[in-house]
Amino acid sequence: MSGNAIICLGNRYVAGDDVGCRVFDRLSSGELPEELELVDGGLCGLDLLRLVEGRRRVVFVDALAGLADAGSVVVLSREQVAAYAGGYGHGAGLPYLLRLLPQVCATPLPEIVLVGTELMGNAADESVIGDLAARCMEVALHGA
Amino acid sequence: MSKRILRDIPLNRVEGDLEIRIELEKNRIVDAWSSGTMFRGFENLLINRGALDGLVITPRVCGICSTTHLMAAAGALDRIAGVVLPDNAIRLRNVALMAEHCQSDVRQSVLMFLPDFTAALYAAHPLHAEAVKRYAPLAGERCVDVVRQTKTFLEIIAILGGQWPHSSFMVPGGVSYAPSVIELNQCRHLLARYRNWYEQSVLGCALERWQAVRSAADLDAWLEEASAQRDGDVGFFLRFARAAGLRDRGQGYGHFLSYGSLDLPADTAVVAGGGQLVAAGFVADFGAVQSFDQSRVSEHVAASWYSDYEGGKHPFEGVTDPRATGADGKKYSWCKAPRYAGLPAETGPLAERIVGGDPLFLDLVRQEGANLVCRQLARMTRPATLLAAMETWLVEMAARPDSPYYQPLSPLVEGRGFGLIEAARGALGHWVEIREGRISRYQIITPTAWNGSPRDGAGLRGPWEQALIGTPIADIDNPVEAGHVVRSFDPCLVCAVHVVGAEGTPLRG
Repeated sequence: MSGNAIICLGNRYVAGDDVGCRVFDRLSSGELPEELELVDGGLCGLDLLRLVEGRRRVVFVDALAGLADAGSVVVLSREQVAAYAGGYGHGAGLPYLLRLLPQVCATPLPEIVLVGTELMGNAADESVIGDLAARCMEVALHGA
Repeated sequence: MSKRILRDIPLNRVEGDLEIRIELEKNRIVDAWSSGTMFRGFENLLINRGALDGLVITPRVCGICSTTHLMAAAGALDRIAGVVLPDNAIRLRNVALMAEHCQSDVRQSVLMFLPDFTAALYAAHPLHAEAVKRYAPLAGERCVDVVRQTKTFLEIIAILGGQWPHSSFMVPGGVSYAPSVIELNQCRHLLARYRNWYEQSVLGCALERWQAVRSAADLDAWLEEASAQRDGDVGFFLRFARAAGLRDRGQGYGHFLSYGSLDLPADTAVVAGGGQLVAAGFVADFGAVQSFDQSRVSEHVAASWYSDYEGGKHPFEGVTDPRATGADGKKYSWCKAPRYAGLPAETGPLAERIVGGDPLFLDLVRQEGANLVCRQLARMTRPATLLAAMETWLVEMAARPDSPYYQPLSPLVEGRGFGLIEAARGALGHWVEIREGRISRYQIITPTAWNGSPRDGAGLRGPWEQALIGTPIADIDNPVEAGHVVRSFDPCLVCAVHVVGAEGTPLRG
């Protein structure tokens, strides 16, 4: 794998946790630059590692809880997300991966950010999904 | 009158959706309640959907063992169709499932179970400093190595199934893709690399040497035989656990259940009795193995947050009607309480070995009881029972490139069937009913529902509730000892909700 990637995370069967999936659907319905790969990362957790290795820049997209004002779109650095890592469990997700990444990435560490939105209620509305998708593209192509 | 303490204990490296309440007397657990705190509702989500939709939706039940759910879902539809799978389809399905098991068993052991040995409770243990060096969360050298080594192994499933996790390549009648010989050889390469690492780092010896360990005395001799064996993860685990006195902890009822798994192709060099590599059966009170009959499975809801009914219901009669109020606190979990022949039953790698008649584990259980060390040892060494058969089946597929991987069949319109397999954590069943081409009933019983079940209509505790009884707790604010017991069952109650979360100051982008 090479170049830049947007990796969308979430579960489309759980309202509120489907933010990344909806951004994936939104972006995949349009034209994307050749150098940019769009990935449905699902619930892979630690197994996202293989999707990160060899990239220049990776933008993760996910819902946030307790990290920002409701309804806002935020960009967090790898270090900011990694600070929330605890021990490993079946539910270990992006923070665990990003915390461990410098020790286990087989290629030079890519530039990594998380673009997310703090949910307002159980589900994000379409305008927030649109804002997220636009911010993801901007960061993926030009950096945070 | 002695003082009793009730306490909810956090087991957040077990599962965010699991809470254990314990009652202590004189620093020992005298009662326990296990609560699954999240309602999933996948079964209801499937009602009225197309007959094949379970193949896409149920792998999303779990991000760790999605192949397992796919295989159970496909198995139920195979049974409804009455189809006989081609040998290559059986081989391919088996190899994918075994890859998921082999990765899960090692990650659970090194990333989840062994880090508890770094706890302050063991500061005076002679191996504590070594445990910290090896297994400290996010830093231990073995933890980092396990992540590095296991990350590539599941590429086997991605090659065979197109993606992992949440693949949907198993379909009624077989699989949707016939891999090329080149792809099968890629899988063999990944397998050989993983096997080599597992032998060197986890076992400390060749698979064949481990398979010659057939009694407790053999195990003692094996442990003293070579430094590589003492220093591997298995050897270290045994030395630490024995010195910490863990062999008298975590004993359950002595009831063991295996649905059986990994059907043998009609033409194969893999040898096993009963037509499956992992045997099916039930053992009550450490007694003789009884044949397994799925009609004896039932689920109770006396202590579960669902509408009440009398006794237990077989999954073909089961309903999932959430109701979290009105029982005066008697209900405490979103897990139902599965029972076999009316009894709670432990399931998982130790149960598989007991049911399958593994001489080492029969001897260990006879001498020490079915304690948490036996249970964890069974999990750590399960890959040693699978890796060689995986290689054989990959070779057999490569040698038969023109043999079918799929048996065509008619659309599924009416019928009911069940798919029963052994998941990484134990017995997994999908019971499916199709009416007019749509799903009219779908019931799933997971391994953690068996092991972590709440009380049933007779008031019997679930297996790990029972296994916690008698466990000493040195520090109620850090009950590592209870964690050992529950983690030895490898609980899994999660997977649906995973948003990145934290408590603290809001951040702005």
